[in-house]
Amino acid sequence: MPNRSALEGIRIVECGGLVSAAYACKLFADLGAEVIKVEPPWGDLARQRGPFPGQRPDPNTSGLFIYLNCNKRGVVADLSQPSGQELLGALVRDADLLVHNVPPSRMQRLGLDYERLSRANPRLIEVSITPFGMQGPLRNYEASDLVLWAAGGLAYLNGAGPGSDDLPPLKPFGLQAEFQGALNAAVAALGALFARRKLGVGQHVVVSVQQCVASILELTFEYYPYMGLIASRLGQKPIQPLDFFECRDGWIFVCCVEEHQWQQLVELMGHPDWAELEIFRDRLSRARNWDALKLLMQEWMATQSVQELYHAGQLRRIPLAPVSTMGDLLHSPHLSARGYFAVIEQPGAGSTTLPGAPYRLSRTPWRLRRPAPRLGEHTAEVLDGLARGNAWSNGVTLEKTRYGTA
Amino acid sequence: MAPLSGIRVADFTWVWAGPFCTLQLAHLGAEVIRVESSARPCVTRLLPPWADGQPGLNRSGYFNQYNQGKYSLALDLKHPEAVVVAKDLVRHCDIVCENFAAGVMERLGLGYEALREVRPDVIMISMSGYGATGPEREYVSYGPAQVPLSGLSSLTGYRGYPPMHVGISYGDPTAGLHAAFAVLAALWHREQTGEGQFIDLSEWETTIAVIPEAIVEHSWHGTQPERNGNRDPLMVPHGVFRCAGEQRWVAIAARDDAEWQRLAHAIGRRDLADNPALATLEGRLEAVDMVERAVEQWTSQRSPAEVTETLQAAGVAAFPCYDSRDLAEDHHLRAEGFFVELDHPEVGRKLHLGIPWKLSGSPCSIRRPAPLLGEHTDYVLRDVLGYDSSQIERLRALGVLR
Repeated sequence: MPNRSALEGIRIVECGGLVSAAYACKLFADLGAEVIKVEPPWGDLARQRGPFPGQRPDPNTSGLFIYLNCNKRGVVADLSQPSGQELLGALVRDADLLVHNVPPSRMQRLGLDYERLSRANPRLIEVSITPFGMQGPLRNYEASDLVLWAAGGLAYLNGAGPGSDDLPPLKPFGLQAEFQGALNAAVAALGALFARRKLGVGQHVVVSVQQCVASILELTFEYYPYMGLIASRLGQKPIQPLDFFECRDGWIFVCCVEEHQWQQLVELMGHPDWAELEIFRDRLSRARNWDALKLLMQEWMATQSVQELYHAGQLRRIPLAPVSTMGDLLHSPHLSARGYFAVIEQPGAGSTTLPGAPYRLSRTPWRLRRPAPRLGEHTAEVLDGLARGNAWSNGVTLEKTRYGTA
Repeated sequence: MAPLSGIRVADFTWVWAGPFCTLQLAHLGAEVIRVESSARPCVTRLLPPWADGQPGLNRSGYFNQYNQGKYSLALDLKHPEAVVVAKDLVRHCDIVCENFAAGVMERLGLGYEALREVRPDVIMISMSGYGATGPEREYVSYGPAQVPLSGLSSLTGYRGYPPMHVGISYGDPTAGLHAAFAVLAALWHREQTGEGQFIDLSEWETTIAVIPEAIVEHSWHGTQPERNGNRDPLMVPHGVFRCAGEQRWVAIAARDDAEWQRLAHAIGRRDLADNPALATLEGRLEAVDMVERAVEQWTSQRSPAEVTETLQAAGVAAFPCYDSRDLAEDHHLRAEGFFVELDHPEVGRKLHLGIPWKLSGSPCSIRRPAPLLGEHTDYVLRDVLGYDSSQIERLRALGVLR
């Protein structure tokens, strides 16, 4: 069956605002699942974030919204009203997944009650992406992406630097806690689909974004239980070079922590005398004396071009990396040779370049099949489908398409 | 019964990105068998933190955190006989994961085409920094360098300051989670059709996937967002504020005008709440410096906990910038059942982070601590591959199982 999509036949109802639920469902949709997104009459908040073509705010042309919601159909329903909950109930009756990021304090009020929904459809899997989980005492705390980045322990690890300890902990660009919540939710949701093959019934999946963030603290968290130490953003790194340098046409990141890489870099820099100094003998002493070494290296780096230095370093197996700008990425010969970026014609916004397939499955393609929905674009179509007994585009159920299953 | 019980994974990964992928599969109940060698141990076995300060291959908190629930088979892949054992393992596995530099598995004789011959429906994922194709595919990729490469560093930083890192090798777990999803999707496809397949994943690409706003802006306007610290275009105030004490900080966000009103009242600044110029987002954006100073004036007299309790009671999003001790001692996370403390033969009971989600109907748990190097060599060879003891002794004598 060439060109069959990996997740074809899976039906998802999404009640997502901003990133987390929407990106989780995008991962499914781009591999062939059918997603109906339910928005309140005022629309998903991602519609307000932009960027907007020509800087003119328009709920139907927000760049973030387009990226997250291609391949989905969109309906409007006010879940605080009985009619909205009725529509939701009708949709989830034939759905495999209901994915949302409504906080626990509002779930019941909006009818996102697993007990009740699963009585009508025992095979339904509900995925709740929550800030703090649903068990602990802080489950109803208010949160934003930044607040969860802090609550998961990551904000504490970044920002400032030697000599500028007064600067606050620093968030990364964008809504990264939400993306982490999305990725974990997608993995857990697919896990629940596998479980349904064994159990015959669905279940309630609860994701805590705070815990998703705490799950990616790299080696820092265990310093406390293992050694009684607390990792911090302040102070020198234990090994160097691992730092940013300004070249004549941009920034480069020098990652050069193995001895053979350092020797290669010294050669590339033309064997400066200072490289022989005892205080720069190994990566530990290079870190202890980093203030001095960084100045010396910076002087040489300032004369270089980022791209030339990047390729020259890589030819010597030094893991240098350009501090890519968006322009660098969109013009990267490597990324274009791989055909990474995707272009979609979005009504009202025109031709829009988006990050493309994050993985390539050799038999089952990743595909953008339709632009993101205008607010309420498919409300009538879906209501009409429901009136005729099926809101989903193909009436074939998963069971009927199954082949040779265990 | 765990969702992936009965699924077996041959795990050739190392460092962080790959093991983070297979950790997800272990969480879901797959039997994940790490193929490791003392001849070239995983980098994370060689890095601190060390249990009680003593270095050792089995004593690293870094390894022990991200390899919970997995098995370990000691196999020196450089030994010519090891390829036969590795292929026998793959014959008994549904999934193969690896994140060596591009081309390494092929050179070892363990590329997708070779593995397909022993297991026609195998699902194999190769995770690399640059992907399996393209002119830079053989470039060296280290986790810390992926953050600047991806574009995230050029967007992250204080206003007017140089580009910054994000504090961790963020591309690694982001790639690992995308990889786990891709593998599960391929497994889903196999269950429907019987077909396996090969998955090519580039960490560079999975990290660009999480900065779409900036990519789209450049595609439309040729510009990119300026580095702007912790500020947000749609929320004011939005930042990390100093509290009383040494390096104590709290994150606060006012997500809309009503939340701003609640915040202003909670910090005792009725004057600001009543100021019509600050009633709208546009007005607060204009006055952002003043608004932030007012908030920090209040937070700097208080502990992060006091700030958080006061603001949350008023319905304002706020939380301390937790460090690792704050996390480890947090009552909420304990009540959530997030932590794992299992008996590890060398390090004893140490606190580890567990699974960040819960399944109501098929509970997942971490059933074993991270393995000692080679802890399950005999189990895997005997019980999974069906080798008899003379075969195992022969391989051991040849130095294959180290």
